[in-house]
Amino acid sequence: MVIVRKSEGFGGARRRGQDPTLQPSTIVDPVTVHVAFEYLTCATFWLLVGTVAGLLDAIKLNWPDVLAVPWLSFGRVRPVHTNTVFWGWSSMGLVGLALYVVARTSRAPLWSPTLSRVSLGLWNVAAAAGLVTLSVGVTRGPQEYREWVWPVAVMFAAGLLLNGVNAYMTVATRKIPEIYVSNWYILGAFCFLPILFTTGYIPFYQHGLGNVVIQGYYMHTAVGMWFTMLSLGISYYAIPLILGRPIYSYALGVLGFWTNILFYTLIGAHHFIFSPVPWWLQTTAILFSVGMMVPVWAGGCNLLLTFRGTSAVLQRTFSAPFLLAGIVAYILVSTQGTLEAFRTANMYWHFTNFTVGHSHLSMYGFVAFVIWGAAYGLLPRLTGSEPNAILVGIHFWLALLGYIIYVISISIAGSLQGLSWVAGEAFIKSVEAAEPMWLWRTAGGVLMVASHLVFAVNVWAMRPGRALAHAPVPPAAEAAT
Amino acid sequence: MSLHTSHRALVGFAFFTYLGLTVLIAIVPAASIQQTPAIRGARSAVAEQGRAIYLREGCGFCHTQFVRDLPLDRPYGRPTVAQDYANENPPLPGTQRTGPDLSNVAARQPSDTWHLLHLYNPRAVVPQSVMPGYPWYFEEKAEAAPGDVVVPVPPRLVSAKGRVIVARPEATALVTYLLSLRQPELPR
Repeated sequence: MVIVRKSEGFGGARRRGQDPTLQPSTIVDPVTVHVAFEYLTCATFWLLVGTVAGLLDAIKLNWPDVLAVPWLSFGRVRPVHTNTVFWGWSSMGLVGLALYVVARTSRAPLWSPTLSRVSLGLWNVAAAAGLVTLSVGVTRGPQEYREWVWPVAVMFAAGLLLNGVNAYMTVATRKIPEIYVSNWYILGAFCFLPILFTTGYIPFYQHGLGNVVIQGYYMHTAVGMWFTMLSLGISYYAIPLILGRPIYSYALGVLGFWTNILFYTLIGAHHFIFSPVPWWLQTTAILFSVGMMVPVWAGGCNLLLTFRGTSAVLQRTFSAPFLLAGIVAYILVSTQGTLEAFRTANMYWHFTNFTVGHSHLSMYGFVAFVIWGAAYGLLPRLTGSEPNAILVGIHFWLALLGYIIYVISISIAGSLQGLSWVAGEAFIKSVEAAEPMWLWRTAGGVLMVASHLVFAVNVWAMRPGRALAHAPVPPAAEAAT
Repeated sequence: MSLHTSHRALVGFAFFTYLGLTVLIAIVPAASIQQTPAIRGARSAVAEQGRAIYLREGCGFCHTQFVRDLPLDRPYGRPTVAQDYANENPPLPGTQRTGPDLSNVAARQPSDTWHLLHLYNPRAVVPQSVMPGYPWYFEEKAEAAPGDVVVPVPPRLVSAKGRVIVARPEATALVTYLLSLRQPELPR
């Protein structure tokens, strides 16, 4: 990959940042840049909404009578938090970056920017409608990540399909013969989410225990086949680009892709171990949870090894540390997931807050950090506008410190709950044991939300300025790098 | 036709691999076990209304209805079987136990007065509880009218002396649902 740092025939750039050579990209279609930026801006809005909701619920476990009104009640805010950060923040952030990656690695403009803007509109309406309906109590019940009633889900699905078509057509019109590995992951994700989303909503096989089987499959593959796939696809582009070196092993990336499909899909039932779900299904899930070590260590270490010997870059930029932290969290959280699937570990940790720590390590430590790293790494190269480096640093350390405090304290809370239950104590003892840790969790959450405010400021600083509007028209085809 | 150079082959292969796995691991098993005979009689209309409120308020995010065949789950009743979830739409096994399991709560706590008080303000009966109260399903009145369900709320939790707390129909429906959560005996 070539790092785009200079453009010709260009002057009068308004520079906000520290890099005097930084100019808007001349090889990317400005409309594609605008679309990516619009996605990230909306994503940031939903990040703030979704994490304030999460923080509110954390506070309610410390002080249960705070803001005791129906629409801010714990049980209503909880799905607002999860669905907003899933379908609002993470999906918009990842797809905004993915659309750019697809266009850039295909050496082609985005097939239809209009289609992507329509999708973004649909997704915003869905996220807003989802927030309102869940707040007033219109819900499908506590079926995690598919609480949205079907009209809301249909709007989201329509946007998803349009974006999928757009990504596919962009790759189909590529100017180079090879399909870069990022696009394997991204196009894969656009195949998988429509399948799993539809499977989760069609009711015919979901009576009684059938619903439980689908719930395990749905919530697990939503994370594994959508968020993980997109995050890895973006990492396979952003990490080599920012480090200025090729990926450690292209073949490992391809191996990771296929093993991820095979293993990740089969392990949803490990969320219902010791349940009436058929024993063979649970055992299959546990076995393939061990198999998950193949894609995780192949993919994770592949990206990690790409970082080898780049401490100079890590010190110079903040995008690289974000991505490094994200990949480390990916390896940690997936290994942790495998361990949690074993029946003995499950006995202690299932139903406890340990699960909450696990999900934050994945959706925050991994997914959010990859979005941030890629946004800080790519956007300034595209728009010619840099954020203040000190503010990016503040974002990094607040977010990292905040979520480390969060994950450690909530994991301890979960372990204490599990130990209390195994010891046969009265249930309320497990609440009392977790209470001090819940206070620490809230403290971590405050730092996390604060970091998002800083991120919002930084996104605004990276907006496409006048510089982009005056950038020369990109050449139709660029020489392969 | 190589997957590295043909987007059609790549996307087609990924799509149908995942679809096939989905059918095998999720749809077929779900379809084959969804029809289990119910061992519990149908709930009353009021209890069903209560269940709708239980769903609306997200009670299932903190309370499981899923007893495992493990020593630590003994206090909650017998292990859950497939039949327990028959006719439950959706079934509520849950993934978090911030509060206790409710599969058999009616056997453990059969008093409707206790449940009403607990729903009005959980800390009125369990001081260490972190459960949200649901005061909006209750009404504070100067005096009870005939037919009102009066909740014996401790005076310190009532705004003015002499006023009474009356359960709205939603509160009594929710309690009716909770008191319907009693594990039936398994047929031998």
